[in-house]
Amino acid sequence: MDAFDTLGLEPRFDLDLAEVEARHLALSATLHPDRFAAAGPSERRMSLGKAIEVNDAWRVLRCPVRRAESLLVRYGVPVGETLEPRPSQDLLIEMLDVREELAGARRAKDKAALTRLATQMRAKEAATTVALTHGFSTANGQTAKLEALLPELGKLRYFRRFFEELDAIEDELLS
Amino acid sequence: MSFLEIFDPAASPRPIGIDLGTTNSIVARMRDGDPCAIRDCDGEALMPSAVFYERSGRVIVGREAMRMAAAHPTDTIVSAKRFMGKGADDPETQRLGTFDFATPEGPEDARTVRFRVGPERVVTPVEVSAEILKALRQLAEDELRSVGAAVITVPAYFDDAQRQATKDAGKLAGLEVLRLLNEPTAAALAYGLDQKQNGLFAVYDLGGGTFDVTILRLDDGVFQVKSTGGDSALGGDDMDRALAEVLLRAMHVVVDESLASRELVRLALDAARQAKHALTERTEVDLSLPVKGGGETTVRVTREDFEALIAPIVAKTGVACRRALRDAGVSAAELNGIILVGGSTRVPHVARFVAELFGKEPLGNIDPDLVVAYGAAIQADLLAGEAANGAGILLLDVLPLSLGIETMGGVAEKVLPRNTTIPAGAKQVFTTYTDNQTGFELHIVQGERELAADCRSLAHFTLRGIPPMVAGMARLEVAFKVDADGLLTVAAKELTTGVEQEILVKPSYGLTDDEVEDMLLDALEYGESDMQLRQLAERKVEAERIVKATEQALTVDTLLLEPGEREHIDSAIADVRAAVLAGNSALIQARVEDLDQATKPWAGRRMDFAIAKAIRGKGVDDLDRSVAHARGVDAHVDEHARRR
Repeated sequence: MDAFDTLGLEPRFDLDLAEVEARHLALSATLHPDRFAAAGPSERRMSLGKAIEVNDAWRVLRCPVRRAESLLVRYGVPVGETLEPRPSQDLLIEMLDVREELAGARRAKDKAALTRLATQMRAKEAATTVALTHGFSTANGQTAKLEALLPELGKLRYFRRFFEELDAIEDELLS
Repeated sequence: MSFLEIFDPAASPRPIGIDLGTTNSIVARMRDGDPCAIRDCDGEALMPSAVFYERSGRVIVGREAMRMAAAHPTDTIVSAKRFMGKGADDPETQRLGTFDFATPEGPEDARTVRFRVGPERVVTPVEVSAEILKALRQLAEDELRSVGAAVITVPAYFDDAQRQATKDAGKLAGLEVLRLLNEPTAAALAYGLDQKQNGLFAVYDLGGGTFDVTILRLDDGVFQVKSTGGDSALGGDDMDRALAEVLLRAMHVVVDESLASRELVRLALDAARQAKHALTERTEVDLSLPVKGGGETTVRVTREDFEALIAPIVAKTGVACRRALRDAGVSAAELNGIILVGGSTRVPHVARFVAELFGKEPLGNIDPDLVVAYGAAIQADLLAGEAANGAGILLLDVLPLSLGIETMGGVAEKVLPRNTTIPAGAKQVFTTYTDNQTGFELHIVQGERELAADCRSLAHFTLRGIPPMVAGMARLEVAFKVDADGLLTVAAKELTTGVEQEILVKPSYGLTDDEVEDMLLDALEYGESDMQLRQLAERKVEAERIVKATEQALTVDTLLLEPGEREHIDSAIADVRAAVLAGNSALIQARVEDLDQATKPWAGRRMDFAIAKAIRGKGVDDLDRSVAHARGVDAHVDEHARRR
């Protein structure tokens, strides 16, 4: 059972996130341990296990990187940075530059620069998402076509790490 | 101890909700569908969280203990909650107070703070809290005759050790703890059911010793926590301390370890608290205080002075609020309401600060001192299956602090990030690094910092019995589970052989199960025999609850029974009933297990059916809709951008 199966959703990249959330809530309402507080030990254990699966599936499907990984695994394409082709030199250089700028903005506590960088990266992220959406919908489960999406997934991972770093810096600047 | 009284055959046990606060504690219950606080004979709902240990061995809790604090500053423990789950070297022990901390005799001893109360006696925060819980239980018993299971609230920002300590205190007090409920969520539950409003809310909870902020969405009875933040050592106590330090200077007191100094510290802290309360209504207050070496002095404290003193404390809460909003991915303008909780929100400066921070006036229609206990009572009722219309209500809470594993180089690798919806789980695979390695140690930490040493250490888990293999061949899958109480459990399996690993847990802070067990025995007048009575009583209640739940399910899910199953279950129920009547603890347990086995396959089918129904319920429509509305790429990008 992968995240799509757990939430009973059609396996596709361009999921309607509102629908994913609604399904998560419907299943939580059924499976949450609070619903089984009075039940016997086996039933309580089962509910805890299922509720964890449902919450985990929700986390996977909300995140574009993990959603894409889940789809690829589903069609038999191995994922994980050690299994995928190495990122292009261009991407590495680009990310190096961007992160240098990020570090500079952090040192200068320059919130405007942070916002500018964020906007810039979001546009790139959106373009990659478009490419992945298109790629998944036209791949029809064919391994070669799916494998061709791996570099895009790689980009998305780099962008996600950038945003994590940005989050941490914004967090730091709050206090 | 009087466990037999709980099981007055004439009265059915009633669930209770407990707000175990830093300064005050409250017990509440449901009456005719509404929560209400249980009041003492003076009509007071708030019981001061103070415990006085008399030299004779007698323990006094509440208002009377508070009165003893002035003359017996070290034998009266107040604000024990601030020390729950904390080690003897915690910075909290270094702050202005009247405690006489026992010096730990070794590393095992240092896992918990210990208070010296009298020459012979040393108590832990868990034991102090257990005394408060016992007093609350007694209060509830006086009114309800028979007390059932309890929901105890904890600050949302409590870490695993603090939660475990609270649960231990409940156990020590002889309570069956149904659930640890986060205080802001409890408050939201009380408000939500009262106001029948939907939308996005912030709960700002500043108590005596802890601060929480929670952002949650309320949607027709579903309370979904989006993010939580706070500081489990920040509250009204800190305001008292800030002012007391000023007062002590006016009194020419140099704080030291002497009893005389402690008495004056107690006096200054009490005067500071009274001044804080008075300044809620008035703009200035005159305090007459003794001066060291004789005489008196009058200190005038204006509201302005006080506000300047507490400004840094209040500002700290602002940082946590902004972070919680960011974590939830919402702006203050999107909030439909702000709920104020905790006595410290009565301070005008705090209420004003909150209004400015969120840009709207907070709601205040439920007493901020009682609202958490009300929520706990509602939840207890729901969990005990007493509520008539409870089916629609659901609380989805989150993990307040990230859980991580210490990796090579001392970095904390996050296994579950903060604000993950609970219950939650994660799996991680490790391998051995030497040939024939049979053991493996994991250090689990909680917190947001990069280095494990800067996070809070939770426990060391030692895995044993790994089958001997060449280095790097064993695949150890470690499964972390956080339950609905926010408590962590760890299991491990070697994947190539499927061998379940034996795990030895060494908590970094708090008490071990054995220590709690020993305390329990010590606390009981007749030791073993009382323990057996208590175990029997607990098992009877549990057995009856399971039978009731099974019978209820039998009336609903009859169709999912296979031929012969009904008879099998019916006879198992009859056997449980007979064992309860016979009053044999071991027999009850065996029969409950039999019933559990008899219902297990059917329970699995019921759960699968319920899942299918939840998916199908809206599912059929949804599937059609998602195909019909399969939106273009552009629409998707828009949504994607919004989400970030």
